Amino acid sequence: MNSEVMTSPLVARARTRARIARDRYRRFRRRPLGVHARLAALEEELQESRQLNRRIAELTDVVAELLVLVDDRDEERVREVLAQYRASF
Amino acid sequence: MISVSDAGLLLRDAPADVQVVSFDGRYIWAFTAPRDGRVVPGGLLVEWPPVLRRFLDGVVRVRIADVAGAQVLVDEEVVLGDGAAGPDGARIEVVDAQGYPLAVDKVGHLCRAFDDTEDGVRAEILAGTRRALDDLRGACGVEAYLNYGALLGAVRDGAMIAHDSDTDVCYLSRHTSPADIILESYAIQRTMKKLGWTLLRMSGGDIKILLPLSDGRLCHIDIFVAFRVDGTFYQLGNRSGRLPDSAILPVSTITLHGVEFPAPADPEAMLEFIYGPQWRVPDPSFKYADPVRGVRRLDGWLRGFRTDMGRWTEFHQGPGRGLSKNRRSTFAKWVDGQLPRGDGVADLGCGTGRDALWFARRGRPVIAFDFSRAARAAVIRSARRRRVHVEVRALILNELRTVLVSGAELARDPHHLTARHLLGCLDDRARDQLWLLCRMALRGGGKLFLEFSAEVGAAAPEPAPEGLVRRLDPAVVRREIEAAGGVVERERVRAGTDVLGNPDPTVCRMRVHWARPASPDLQRKS
Repeated sequence: MNSEVMTSPLVARARTRARIARDRYRRFRRRPLGVHARLAALEEELQESRQLNRRIAELTDVVAELLVLVDDRDEERVREVLAQYRASF
Repeated sequence: MISVSDAGLLLRDAPADVQVVSFDGRYIWAFTAPRDGRVVPGGLLVEWPPVLRRFLDGVVRVRIADVAGAQVLVDEEVVLGDGAAGPDGARIEVVDAQGYPLAVDKVGHLCRAFDDTEDGVRAEILAGTRRALDDLRGACGVEAYLNYGALLGAVRDGAMIAHDSDTDVCYLSRHTSPADIILESYAIQRTMKKLGWTLLRMSGGDIKILLPLSDGRLCHIDIFVAFRVDGTFYQLGNRSGRLPDSAILPVSTITLHGVEFPAPADPEAMLEFIYGPQWRVPDPSFKYADPVRGVRRLDGWLRGFRTDMGRWTEFHQGPGRGLSKNRRSTFAKWVDGQLPRGDGVADLGCGTGRDALWFARRGRPVIAFDFSRAARAAVIRSARRRRVHVEVRALILNELRTVLVSGAELARDPHHLTARHLLGCLDDRARDQLWLLCRMALRGGGKLFLEFSAEVGAAAPEPAPEGLVRRLDPAVVRREIEAAGGVVERERVRAGTDVLGNPDPTVCRMRVHWARPASPDLQRKS
């Protein structure tokens, strides 16, 4: 006789419930840690996306102040514009 | 009962109100014991502010009293340090390089307070501040107003606050996107520069005017942006919270020492927003209690390109001061031996420039780049003294504008690149932007020569200056270079020295080139 046969449906149900309760407990124990870690990662990623504001501003500034003039292909003028731009910050 | 020692001020019974500390009758610092102290055996210890520590060696009369001076807790001669090294024989004097007295301000910096400023110089500061506000409102077209300590002093008694040290102005931006707010600040800097002001960028929304005064000092006037994002009002330094636009616009007028200034529409509301409901009561020990969420947002949006600037300035004015007198590094000799005579060198992160100056003396055209103003000033001084020509330029590798403009300049005026102990000072973003600069600068040929403290498994001491330079794994550096299109031609790890010349058991050197990009015509054909 194996143990399956020996176990009554009542006991099996009780064991299942115990397993579910254990699993819920484990997940409950795990979750706060998981949430904290995920929150920290989210905060870090959010900060990274905030930093894109400065990057966009820097790129836009260079494009607006330099690239249009660089497209003139007048080398002397380009040097002059580069020097002026450097002096502006 | 208070005992004064090298550790700080030990208070048996801590008074709740503000205490003012004077040395030999002169204001130095103010504190609030329950906020600034920590419990130790025997009472509450309020430590000396870190900026004061270097002065605390000698004898001085310490007086600690409440703001009104009515209740004196201590008034006695005290010996601090070994008691012999004060600049005036054995007397402690908290003064700057020109001998002007200094005090600790509300953010913990040393500054010269207005009560030690002559009337004539104070008039210069007021006139300069007024002129700055006129230019901001006129040529720059922004709603600028007087703010912070100067506004507080004007509202309370029409005069500067005795323990304040500078003036601050703000402008309310109409923009609500941080990127647009930064662009507006760039445009303001350009306009102000054209009008003749000397400026220093502190963040994406804060420019500092350096106003020369007749007593030889530079007065700092901060131009802070104020703006609104998603209903929250932000005002640099680090303030954030609720303040309606109607508290600012239309601007009113306020008088400070007889000079009229534009001010917020409701100065009292602004002062309560900045200093809290107790703003009418003088508190020289005041410290901001800014909402953490707001500070984090402002850090993310506007800051991050000059994180270690202050510490590098301290280094170049302290332990790094004599480095330019040192002989060139062995790295410079190694580089020089590999380059044709007369080829130019751009030294990235040149520090005080001992290698850059040596390359120049060898007859090479040299451009010296560094992000520290103190370092650049040291190179300019040394080059002048030694009568060699070195072009000195700013390069902030966390700031894409200076990276792109330097790359464009070097693409038009080719130089080989050297970077000794620069990599270890950079974060990941700055290293990425360094490779971008190299790719731009070396697209027509030329080499990049690197030296950095290597992390190769065995435990090695941290390189100096501590906390500013770290070790890097050469394999990681190689991968980054290759990902950016570079080719490492030579690599070796041997014993060498760190920035300060201390022995370093594992120093990596690399020689790198970038492949020439295919011409547009060829690309089109393929």
